[in-house]
Amino acid sequence: MVLKPKTRFEHECLEDFEDGECVFEEGDTGRDLYIVQSGEVAIIKKTSTAVIEMAVFKKGDFFGDMALLQSLPRYASAYAKGKTKLLILKPAGFLLKIRRDPTFAFEMLQQLSYRVKMSNDRLLHVVEKHRLPVDEVQSILKILGGGGDAKP
Amino acid sequence: MITSITSEKLVVISDLHLGNPFSNAKKKVIPFLKWAAQEKFDVCINGDGLEIAQASFSKVAFEVPEFFRVLGEFRRAGREVYYVTGNHDIALEHFLEDWGVMKVAPFLNVTSGNTRLRIEHGHIYDPFFVKFPVLYDSLTHLAGLFLKVHPELYRLWISFERFASNRRAKKTGIVGERPHFKEAALELSRRGFDAIIFGHTHHPGVSELETGSIYLNSGSWMLTPHYVKIEHGNVSLVEWKPEKRVSML
Repeated sequence: MVLKPKTRFEHECLEDFEDGECVFEEGDTGRDLYIVQSGEVAIIKKTSTAVIEMAVFKKGDFFGDMALLQSLPRYASAYAKGKTKLLILKPAGFLLKIRRDPTFAFEMLQQLSYRVKMSNDRLLHVVEKHRLPVDEVQSILKILGGGGDAKP
Repeated sequence: MITSITSEKLVVISDLHLGNPFSNAKKKVIPFLKWAAQEKFDVCINGDGLEIAQASFSKVAFEVPEFFRVLGEFRRAGREVYYVTGNHDIALEHFLEDWGVMKVAPFLNVTSGNTRLRIEHGHIYDPFFVKFPVLYDSLTHLAGLFLKVHPELYRLWISFERFASNRRAKKTGIVGERPHFKEAALELSRRGFDAIIFGHTHHPGVSELETGSIYLNSGSWMLTPHYVKIEHGNVSLVEWKPEKRVSML
């Protein structure tokens, strides 16, 4: 059965953002997943000492997955870079989207796997650069590896 | 597994079905590959390049080695060969890459110029293949037996599909195709793809999507050979004639 576009895209919408406009703020409780249809989005994290641009997402990339998959408040803020159009997936429509577009799940897993590797590489880089003590590194790796209480 | 590539010059062909009793794609595809190498194009075989489901062993033995020899030459000329798996060659996926000539992927996201494209065989959007996989497989093998007796029966089937599609009340998408393929292309285009290229249906054509992106099917080399030409982000469907190429877009 082919669904009419109105029914088919009931749980998703398109939204335009101007340069610098906020998509969401750190700590927000939204659960939507965002896919960049055009333009770019910067992910900004405020720490006690600095404001860090953690990533820039381009056409085809997705973000907001932590809030959707783990029901966590937004970990960082997202701002449009230039004129940006986003496809916004509501939590209720996520599985329907995967059913209609199964390769999206494949691409999500691929990107998440890539991000885990990047995080591990960054951690190892910091460990080597600052010659951190082995027991401290082991305890961080244990948390990152999902040991003990870290599992959902 | 590589699924994202950048290529400024890429040609996409699909459904050669080398080894199928009906297919005479080999004699057309070899000069095509030589031309593509000369013009410095990379090549993507978008599924069902080789036949397993309806294979005639003698045809496979006769056609496939030369095809791979030419792909090897293509590769040695410094061009890339990508192979997106289809439903007739899915069993080969494990060792196609081990032959060292090509990069095998379930789909490809291509960046060319400022254009972002998706290349996928498209069988996972075929409602018959997805809902009735056992029946689909059985009928495919059965059809293979008929093709061994009379290969021209295939042409009859394709004409029937075009006739049925013309009689359909909602004439959406490419003639001969069921509307599910254009729907799938629309779904993908909402994820930021400017062009979506499928094979599988053997019906070449171009159709505009409501998002402003385009949907193309590269058809089958078992019938009239077509290829999708991607050059610095410009995408077009072209009929392959060694002396003259006719653009459909």
